[in-house]
Amino acid sequence: MTVGYLPGAGFLHRAHPFTAMAIGGGVAVLAFLLAPPAGPLAVLALGVALAMAAGVWRVLIPAAVISGPFWVFLFAIHGLFREAPLTALGLSARMTASIVAFLLVIAVVHPGRLVEALLARGVPFAAAYLLAAAIQIVPRFQNRARAILDAQRCRGLRLRGSPLRRVRAVVALAIPLVLSALAEVDEHALALETRGVGTGKRRTILHPPVDTPLDRAIRWAVLGVLAVAVLVTYP
Amino acid sequence: MTIVFDRVSFTYPGSREPSLHGLSFHAARGQVTLLTGLLGAGCSTTVLVAAGVAPRLLGGSVEGDVTVLERNPGTAEGWRDLAGRVAVLLPTPWTQLSGMTFTVADEVAFGPANLGWDREEILDVAAVAMDQLSVTHLAQRDPATLSGGELQRVILAGLVAMRPDVYLLDEPTVELDPEAADAVYALLPTLAKTAAVLLTTTDSDRAVEVADSALYLESGQLVSAGSPCDVLGSERVVAAGAGVSVATLFRDAGARGPYPVDVAAAASRWMTA
Repeated sequence: MTVGYLPGAGFLHRAHPFTAMAIGGGVAVLAFLLAPPAGPLAVLALGVALAMAAGVWRVLIPAAVISGPFWVFLFAIHGLFREAPLTALGLSARMTASIVAFLLVIAVVHPGRLVEALLARGVPFAAAYLLAAAIQIVPRFQNRARAILDAQRCRGLRLRGSPLRRVRAVVALAIPLVLSALAEVDEHALALETRGVGTGKRRTILHPPVDTPLDRAIRWAVLGVLAVAVLVTYP
Repeated sequence: MTIVFDRVSFTYPGSREPSLHGLSFHAARGQVTLLTGLLGAGCSTTVLVAAGVAPRLLGGSVEGDVTVLERNPGTAEGWRDLAGRVAVLLPTPWTQLSGMTFTVADEVAFGPANLGWDREEILDVAAVAMDQLSVTHLAQRDPATLSGGELQRVILAGLVAMRPDVYLLDEPTVELDPEAADAVYALLPTLAKTAAVLLTTTDSDRAVEVADSALYLESGQLVSAGSPCDVLGSERVVAAGAGVSVATLFRDAGARGPYPVDVAAAASRWMTA
């Protein structure tokens, strides 16, 4: 199960980063705008269809794993209070659609391409880097956690067994995960500084993403759909 | 002088004992200066202080004067002036990836692009640097998929592409196989033609072949300085286990120091013995 950029040549990979982000953002917002449960369910289906059409169906696996507990929790809570399960269905669908949209965007938009697109629009490098780094934080932590788990297993850590043993395994993962991340912050900061980040000079854009008329039309269309959804939901 | 340490002591935050004690040396443009010692001797700390990471990012306290290209790298202002002119390579290449590039070619071009050079010039210097570090065949690979050795060469290529005035190289070949390590060491004299190279390594066998001068540290103190042959062949350094293999063999065989540091010198001495 991998979260993060997935190399590919699908239509969302080829699209301008802003277009892919607009589509992903549009899906997430639409899930909260449309009336539950049919609206969010339809948007969730749209998100799934987009992921498959874009060639990144693998994002659906982490999406299911992440949103699964929400479904269980929401159905349990609403069942407990004898409220309509349709409410739980709507809420769960909204949550899942948002997760699918987020994972879809980070799967098709390479951080470097996003930075280039932002720089081309005059955004300062520091701000662009910060945004791209924020998008990468999940996959980076995931890779690091995997490496730490492997190392701990080699030293005899057992992940299965009683709840107490599982809690111990989490501690054995969490502490080195956080400490190693903190320890590497200085080195990464140095690496960026030594390679000219923070000099105040305007960075040269090596491969500016092409923003075609179709890209712009799609972004306007997303905006239009959201506007219509607002008008329909809140007449 | 390009790098000047004048009675420099450094203490890490939370530590009572300084890791560097009154360290004084200089490194000049046109030379490869070898800084060596056993683990814990303070070589990496010296690089961090020269790079300004200590104390600017790491904290701790510095006494004495550190000057790199006539600026103090330990201050924010000094480092800003030095950005792009001082290349720092740490032994952990995975922490030095920009994380912002699709390909190795773009990773190598990351530094020059940050300096605002012309696009064509950036592509040219990146191609030359990749060729120098023998990573041209990796140009279209995703940097995140490289092995440790490939990554270390790519990161060094990215630094070379910036044409810095100072190289601070901390164990630059720790991830490399012997052949690739030989190639990197062979490149150092070329880099030193236009820059000062401060090299810290425990790989004395390779370093002695390219270094113009050597410094030997023990417990944060400068114990010996001079030509690589004098320093790495001295009784103290060889007895401590930091000498080159040839010298160690001679000592183990019962010879007395100073010891030869290369095969030719060893053969000559053996013939005359």
